[in-house]
Amino acid sequence: MSELFDLNLVVAMVRLSTPITLAAIGAVICERSGIVNIAMEGIMIIGAFFAATIAYYTGNPWIGMLGGIVFGMLFSLIHAVATVTLHLDHVVSGAVLNILAFGMTRYLMVQFFGHPGTSEPIPTSLGAYRFAVPLLSDIPIIGPVLFNQTPIVYLSFLIIIFFWFVTRRTKVGLHIRASGEHPLALETIGVSVVRIRYISILTSGFTCGLAGAFLSIENNTTFTEGMTNGRGFIALAANISGGWTIPGAFIGSLFFGFADALQLRIQSLGFEAVPEELFIILPYVATIIAVAGLVRHSRAPKTLGADFRIEQSSD
Amino acid sequence: MKVVLETKDIVKRFGKVQANQQVSIKLYEREILGLLGENGAGKSTLMNVLYGLYHPNAGQIYLHGKEVFFHSPKDAIRQGLGMVHQHFMLVETLTVTENIILGSEPATAGVIKYQEARAQIANLSQSYGLLVDPDARIENLSVGEQQRVEILKALYRQAQILILDEPTAVLTPQEVEGFFKIIHQLRSQGISVIIITHKLEEVKRITDRAYIMRSGKVVGEEKTDKVTKEHLANLMVGREIVLMVHRQAKKRTATSASPIFCIEELQVRDDRNLPAIRGISIDIYPGEIVGIAGVDGNGQRELAETIIGLRSPQQGRLRYNDRDISTLSIRNRIQQKMGRVPADRQGTGLVLPMLVQENIAIGMHNRPPYSNFLRLNHENFQKKAVELVGAFDIRPPNPTLRTAHLSGGNQQKVILARELSREPQFLLVSQPTRGLDVGAIEYIHERILQMSERQIGILLISLELEEILALSDRILVLRKGEIIKEFSSQEATSQKIGAYMTGGQDD
Amino acid sequence: MTNNQQPSSSVLYRRGVAIVIRVLLIVATMIGVVLYLASNFWAMALIILMPLLLLFHREHGDIAALWQRSILPFLRTITIPAIGFTTAFIVGAIIMIITGDNPLLAYGALFYGGFVKNWSISLLNAVPLIFTGLAICFAFRAGLFNIGAEGQYYVGAMVTAALGIYLDIPGFLAIPLLFIIGGLLAASYNIIPTLLKVKTGAHEVITTMMLAHVARLLSPLMIRNFGGHISSPHPLVTYEISERLWLPLFSSFLPNAYYRLHTGILIAIGVALCTHYVINHTKIGFEIRAVGYNRRAARAQGISVGKIYAVALLGSGLLAGLSGVVEVLGLNHKLFENINAGYGWNGISVALLAGNNPIAIIFTAILWGALDAGGQYMQRNVQTPNSIVEIIKGIVLFLLVAKYLYTFVFQKIRRKQS
Repeated sequence: MSELFDLNLVVAMVRLSTPITLAAIGAVICERSGIVNIAMEGIMIIGAFFAATIAYYTGNPWIGMLGGIVFGMLFSLIHAVATVTLHLDHVVSGAVLNILAFGMTRYLMVQFFGHPGTSEPIPTSLGAYRFAVPLLSDIPIIGPVLFNQTPIVYLSFLIIIFFWFVTRRTKVGLHIRASGEHPLALETIGVSVVRIRYISILTSGFTCGLAGAFLSIENNTTFTEGMTNGRGFIALAANISGGWTIPGAFIGSLFFGFADALQLRIQSLGFEAVPEELFIILPYVATIIAVAGLVRHSRAPKTLGADFRIEQSSD
Repeated sequence: MKVVLETKDIVKRFGKVQANQQVSIKLYEREILGLLGENGAGKSTLMNVLYGLYHPNAGQIYLHGKEVFFHSPKDAIRQGLGMVHQHFMLVETLTVTENIILGSEPATAGVIKYQEARAQIANLSQSYGLLVDPDARIENLSVGEQQRVEILKALYRQAQILILDEPTAVLTPQEVEGFFKIIHQLRSQGISVIIITHKLEEVKRITDRAYIMRSGKVVGEEKTDKVTKEHLANLMVGREIVLMVHRQAKKRTATSASPIFCIEELQVRDDRNLPAIRGISIDIYPGEIVGIAGVDGNGQRELAETIIGLRSPQQGRLRYNDRDISTLSIRNRIQQKMGRVPADRQGTGLVLPMLVQENIAIGMHNRPPYSNFLRLNHENFQKKAVELVGAFDIRPPNPTLRTAHLSGGNQQKVILARELSREPQFLLVSQPTRGLDVGAIEYIHERILQMSERQIGILLISLELEEILALSDRILVLRKGEIIKEFSSQEATSQKIGAYMTGGQDD
Repeated sequence: MTNNQQPSSSVLYRRGVAIVIRVLLIVATMIGVVLYLASNFWAMALIILMPLLLLFHREHGDIAALWQRSILPFLRTITIPAIGFTTAFIVGAIIMIITGDNPLLAYGALFYGGFVKNWSISLLNAVPLIFTGLAICFAFRAGLFNIGAEGQYYVGAMVTAALGIYLDIPGFLAIPLLFIIGGLLAASYNIIPTLLKVKTGAHEVITTMMLAHVARLLSPLMIRNFGGHISSPHPLVTYEISERLWLPLFSSFLPNAYYRLHTGILIAIGVALCTHYVINHTKIGFEIRAVGYNRRAARAQGISVGKIYAVALLGSGLLAGLSGVVEVLGLNHKLFENINAGYGWNGISVALLAGNNPIAIIFTAILWGALDAGGQYMQRNVQTPNSIVEIIKGIVLFLLVAKYLYTFVFQKIRRKQS
């Protein structure tokens, strides 16, 4: 047992939960404003592709990361237009965007790398920029877990704190919370629900784009089609089981990160008797258990998924 | 006196419907103005135009003599208009403070200064006598308190003109008294008020002047201290109406007859698992209409849902034709010929995207003649529907139309047609005329009376006291989940019932 | 209406003409079907007459009524899809010009390949899509989104491959048996999402999606146990199933049919017709529609929402599973690792495009299949990468699903004019 559970497992948990955490924060913001976003999987894959491609062509992973964020946001803009302006069903729009994202990355792989599948490796990954925060990293346990990590992991910590503050303390956070509960109340007080929802969806585009960048240029050096492997949906589950709050979503994401770290650890230990596939599915099984057990206790934003329009007149 | 707000020839169309036709009104400074009209007369449309939520198709709005155009409520708010909607615009999961400051938060760099906000609100609520706990969540407040929050919300934005849409619809009588006091206090502080209502009593009691609207037009303007209620009523409806009694007082046919439907010691809990019905017993005899009067939220919904079968009782029994049905499934209840007209017509009564004929068959669709073995018999769907569409004068008379395309009144007729065609011996009728126009209301009332003549026992649950008085043979007052008083139709008056509804019975 | 009157001579004449036309149409269509399956492409024109014939029959042979009540509304309903397709192809053309391909050549090859040259491959591609499309549609009508249809597809395929290797009984017994077992086991794969949906309200989008990943990730385990070796180069693959179980090819009974199309397409069309019948003409279908439109009202009318959810999700799983069964029995005859070509996602596209109408799904699936087949042909012959088809598909889907887009655009135009 001791070789299974040690400090490195916790470090890996934090690292592997990062993309899920980021996407889950996007999900919290988005769903709090009343928009269901199952397009996150697609936004992540778009972010991952562009981060890797731009990093490959510029040779600079930081520009790659920015590229992943920008294209993630651009792609999420389609979801915003479809659901908010064109009143399309949120789930349908999300599904269509996932399909579009898979199709686009396949096409662009051929255009930029000449073949589908996996891209050429980028020269330097963000993983190479791992650094230990002086002093803080010397604290036992917490030090190595939180303060000896790679850039996007640090960034995700800042994002958690930032958005936690935003939802609880700021005007726009208050508007986002109101927008998902009673959009008409917000609109009648002179705040544009459309604007708030665009902001929220773009925020999820930002975090999912970053999550995609983490997958392709920090945790990896290549982009592979379908490399998100359902993390967008797992993030949605983390958001739900976290009760639509940022700390809750973070804890949920850590749980899935733990399942992921554990399965990798077990695989590396190599049990002969048990096929590795039974461990690979661990995060997915954990997700199902989490949504099954926890969904009952939390309350979704009241108008989540509902269309919002004010005037039905013909003028 | 100075005119603060004026509309000139406002026109507002929704598709083919003219919701406002050249409406011109004036509001004077420190005036309490009534806007009286039936459901669908165009009052709320006018107010939403004034508030910038709708854009008029034609006409002008003048504020302090200057023409203004409100692109959105934001403009209206900035110009000193405040509105309290009938359905409160409050976010239930947020606190009182957050709701009041929403959209106008005191903030530096986007970070809300909660301390400052709380102080401002404390100030406001003291100077206007509107007491609420600034840290309470809206979902934990009573309706009266929520209304105070709404008014504070407007005052916080420095509203000089306050528009209140059906402000007393959801209040208990004590709360109504408190509300009147608040309005007078607001007036004394220099605020002009518009009250939208369909209650004559209220117009007489509180307003100085009133406009009467009917089918989108202003049909009269009256000083309310001089005018009689009957006159107002006639203007409102557009013809002589008898305020009550289309009904001939009838005696229970045979007192020895046994009741068709019994509610025995029923206890039901609501969605939050709190007691909603606390042990009530009602016997309904054939041919009798029993009315349940009460202020909204006193257990009506839970009672109706329990009878339909959507909610299971905590204790007690329902007995239909001497058979205990409280554990029967909804399907079995329907097939035992229990009729029910639910309160929420579009949400619970009908499947709007389905055809009229499908909505007529639903519930019995799994039996002959509508289906045999697995297959549906669409011919029989249509045959039955054609017959009923004729008998109930459903328009347009096309059973293969989607129900969503029918008007509210015709949708209600579809429900009545469905329930009555199944020859029930007992019928639950809940809020049968909410949101319907006068013609449809009259038709539906007639139908309900006809049914009772055919010896059907009817339980009528309505928030409209007038409706209860017009139709019922016996009236039970439901308050906090208990039947606190029974009246016969002869002794019942709206004053007496009102007193019990609100708990102020010892007069 | 004129039951008791003698029909006048002009009425008789019209009826006579109608009967003649009907007979001609039936004969022509039968000839068309035979010719088509015997590989004569131009018989396609006759096949198009088939829906017309059906409508004609319905209108009792009245051509004016046919035009008014069927053709005109049909033209109206296809206007928006037509606009959507045109726009998507224009966008595709622009992308091609940017990337240095000739759109005219590419589209020429795409259509020639998809609809003329390799039409049989288009139909072959359509077979699994019809099933997964129906699966999505069946759940959708009850208001549920079986986004993980791909998982049930895997289960169907795995079961068929595993049993097919060892089942040594004649095909006419084994094939139906495999359809039943594969379908049922795939349906049972949806039991967990169903229970969670009904008991705790857990959203089926998450649970079915997770199970789809589980099925995909577990498939190598199964493949290794049925022939695949870790040492063998990728992709892992099982042994081939017994040849007696292969779905017959058309060429086995039509002498002129040189193509590789198997009879699975007939099964797919049959299942689509059955699904249509179930949804529109049975009690359970009525209840599914009622629950999908308004579950509260349905419940108030005595319909058990939980039961309908179970029927819809399990039925959906069954249909998706049949997709896996038919692919293994008809086309692959074995199971590859990651054999997926995104049948689950493509099924969603096909169902959404068809507006969740089972009959329309046949056509949208064929269309999707044709785009794939044409894309391959295009890549081989004019060297335009066939992945452009994925882009076109995505845009078409988006433009057709976002119906409000057109209202929105029209409103903007009108506002500008006034």
